[in-house]
Amino acid sequence: MTVINSTARRNMTVQKRKTFIICVLSVAALLALGVRVGYLMIFRSEYYSEQAQELHERERDIKAARGRIIDATGTVLADNKTVCTVSVIHSQVKEPEKVIEVLSNKLGLSEEYVRKQVEKRSSRERIKSNVSKEMGDQIRDLDLAGVKVDEDYKRYYPYGELASKVLGFTGGDNQGIIGLEVSYEKYLTGTKGKILTLTDAKGIELDGMGERRREPVAGSDLYVSIDVNIQKYATQLAKQAYETKQARGVSIIVMNVKNGEILAMTDVPEFDLNEPFVLTQEFAGQPETQDTFNQMWRNGCINDTYEPGSTFKIITAAAGLESGAVTLNDNFSCPGFIIVDDRKIRCHKVAGHGAEDFVHAVMNSCNPVFITVGLRIGVDRYYEYFTKFGLRQKTGIDLPGEAGTIMHQPDKIGDVELATISFGQSFQITPIRLMATVAGIINGKGAVTPHFGVKAVNEENGTIEEFVYPLSDPLVSEDTTQKMRYVLEQVVENGGGKNGYVEGFRVGGKTATSQTLPRGTGRYIASFLGFAPADDPQVMALAIIDTPQGTYYGGQIAAPIVRQLFENILPYLKEKHYQ
Amino acid sequence: MAKTMSKKQVQIRHSRHNMDYILLTVVLFLIAFGLLMIYSTSSYEAGEKMGDSAFYLKNQLKSTILGFFALAFMIKFPYKYLQKFDLIAVVVSAILLLLVLTPLGVTRNGARRWLDFKIISFQPAEVAKIGVIIYLASIIQKLEGLGKNIIRTPKGVAIVMVPPTIIAGLIYIITRNMSSAIIVMGIAVAMLFVAVPDYKWFFALAAAAGAVVFAVVMYASNADTTGSGFRLARVSAWLNPEAYSTDKAFQTLQALYAIGSGGIWGKGLGQSMQKLGFLPEAQNDMIFSIICEELGFFGAMAIILLFVILIWSCMVIANKAVDRFGSLLVVGVMSHYAIQVILNIAVVTNTIPNTGITLPFISYGGTATLFLLTEIGIVLNVSKSCK
Repeated sequence: MTVINSTARRNMTVQKRKTFIICVLSVAALLALGVRVGYLMIFRSEYYSEQAQELHERERDIKAARGRIIDATGTVLADNKTVCTVSVIHSQVKEPEKVIEVLSNKLGLSEEYVRKQVEKRSSRERIKSNVSKEMGDQIRDLDLAGVKVDEDYKRYYPYGELASKVLGFTGGDNQGIIGLEVSYEKYLTGTKGKILTLTDAKGIELDGMGERRREPVAGSDLYVSIDVNIQKYATQLAKQAYETKQARGVSIIVMNVKNGEILAMTDVPEFDLNEPFVLTQEFAGQPETQDTFNQMWRNGCINDTYEPGSTFKIITAAAGLESGAVTLNDNFSCPGFIIVDDRKIRCHKVAGHGAEDFVHAVMNSCNPVFITVGLRIGVDRYYEYFTKFGLRQKTGIDLPGEAGTIMHQPDKIGDVELATISFGQSFQITPIRLMATVAGIINGKGAVTPHFGVKAVNEENGTIEEFVYPLSDPLVSEDTTQKMRYVLEQVVENGGGKNGYVEGFRVGGKTATSQTLPRGTGRYIASFLGFAPADDPQVMALAIIDTPQGTYYGGQIAAPIVRQLFENILPYLKEKHYQ
Repeated sequence: MAKTMSKKQVQIRHSRHNMDYILLTVVLFLIAFGLLMIYSTSSYEAGEKMGDSAFYLKNQLKSTILGFFALAFMIKFPYKYLQKFDLIAVVVSAILLLLVLTPLGVTRNGARRWLDFKIISFQPAEVAKIGVIIYLASIIQKLEGLGKNIIRTPKGVAIVMVPPTIIAGLIYIITRNMSSAIIVMGIAVAMLFVAVPDYKWFFALAAAAGAVVFAVVMYASNADTTGSGFRLARVSAWLNPEAYSTDKAFQTLQALYAIGSGGIWGKGLGQSMQKLGFLPEAQNDMIFSIICEELGFFGAMAIILLFVILIWSCMVIANKAVDRFGSLLVVGVMSHYAIQVILNIAVVTNTIPNTGITLPFISYGGTATLFLLTEIGIVLNVSKSCK
């Protein structure tokens, strides 16, 4: 018994020690875990809190108001209007039947559609967007549980079609799609605001948990050089010509000769900016593909190139005078054609202009004389001038999609090619490119960068950014500039451009009638480039009629357009002291 | 004989005042705190799914009240009578476990672990834990009575360890509940450890276990576990929870978010975000993470310290117990609590792979609470007759 007892006592002693060991080890383990908890909760706290916060918060964007587009007269050309988006939050709807009835009545939607949306088990279902603000307010005032009315901005163009291809329009996210809306996106678009709400795991917003809000910042207003009155009048003239001449298109550009500010640009047919995805009557019946829309939105003034024809003789004349290949008094004789290499190139006057000096050759737009001048300049020098005048580059206009020049490679230019280039054929440029270079020749300063954007003004944070546009180095000497002004005024006073004459103003200009490619289809492009005043050019206008029916001479159909335009806008500009 | 009897009676009467009230207070506090946290963690989901935000609280309250009856009964019931239940405790545990295979067994939350006797339903695995404690305490005591240190012989070890191993095996095979099996084996090893006066076997055992764990971890950290077994994937998920954030480590990662977002002071009682469906069934295994989120580092440390006091009190009672049986009972209960608390907090903090062990007195679970309180009743009963 005692042996057992003593063993038992000894074992009991060991047991006590071992129990103590277990206890101490357990306590040590727990304290170690305490340290681990402390590590997680203090040193890793930021990391895990952030991850958790991200998990718990749902973001909702608050759209920022897009900046307006305002013309030179202070008229708003692109504005915003408040519209509402009505949506339902399934889990918060208390009276589904009433909600379905009210929403289908108020929004003019079918009951089945609304029922489907209301009964869909999703966190948030949109019922209708672009609901008018009045209707949105009415629905909000009914205070139906689970029905949310969010205010939103929609782009609105008060003048509809006016300058549609210039202004452009915006898409569903209020982002610019074409035109100035694209090029000035970063100024116009504001900074989105955010509402961060806490939600449970199913994404249901928690009441009373507060929300974090970051206010949106409205975009800057864009001030453009367009003058709504000139734009309206130019558009009206273009439409008139478009209809009476049953043309494929009529473009008119009005530009400040000195700095490249564009006062008006129209390319009829235009489209309604408030309904950019509705095909205009010209495109009616065509499939509603992206391609068709792109055609409809295309701005011929900058997106397309053409053979300028005789208006390009301004460039040949300037290069000839500048290089000394010709003087105003040089005498020529036009038999009605000229032979270059083995090619016989005809003058537009089959009988020929006979003896004439260079001034008269310009007034007559005589092809053989310009070919002769071109050949005198020579291929290399001509190509140099072509390059120096900026004709191989894009103008850098602040509209997207400007087309580049299509020109022969210098080593492919022989005398025949040079001859055709001299009177504006066998290569293609954009109308705006022609204007920018001609402006550089007659303003005596340099080729301008045509543009619309003047400044971006943010009323909210008071910033103003004025845009500056480069002017190239002078293209020609002062002497050449003076001579070109004189010659081109002569064209209007006494030559082929006399239909561009405006009583009481000195107007210079040049007409063009070019056959389109392929030749021999009887399709022509008639154009007239005019500027005023001839002795100190301020404003320049180019009218282009694509494929007119009937009379197709630029001097007869395009020059009168510019005349009518000038008759109206020159007094107006004078009154406004537009210098 | 009569003399010893009267002496013992005097001792018992005298020792009534010795009942460990600190332990009782700690347990009562943990129970109350547990109910509060169960309501806090479950009310949102319960309101969503059951339409009654107090659903889990009410259920837990029922088993807690039942548990208090068991507690009161065990305080009164002289623990020495438990000695008679050695084999019965194991056999009853085994039978109850086997009954899960009969139509009496019911499946809840995708696991067939419950027995439903209509008026009462419970998890036999929880019964088995207390059954094993009673069996081991009394069998070791009996072997001791035979003398010759039989417990140090292989035969003795077999007598002590085979029945708990069978029980653990049944728990694992029948109820697919690895964590309860681990706990049963843990309790058995702990009780054997204190009962056998040797150390070296245990060092060897510990070293072997350590080596196996190390090998598994090394294998899992290098192996591509896509497609391999579910247990091994758990190890990989443990090593790199963010890579398994959508499946295996989902719960762990959500628990870590909860713990981390608590910070030093916590978000305040009831303010947890993670319990709003991000951490599913937050009232169960992962309740500690919500405690961290709501009460912060200090709240979490307070709870850990309460468990330290609980375990320490058990140790003191075990070492002051008048007899070997009482002492071993308390050691068993102490090991039970210690294993569960340590493993639970280790899992929640991603210190070890996820096994699904509840936090004693705090996690939701009727059967567990009932038997945890019964065990405390036994410990308090032993404490009454302490020296």
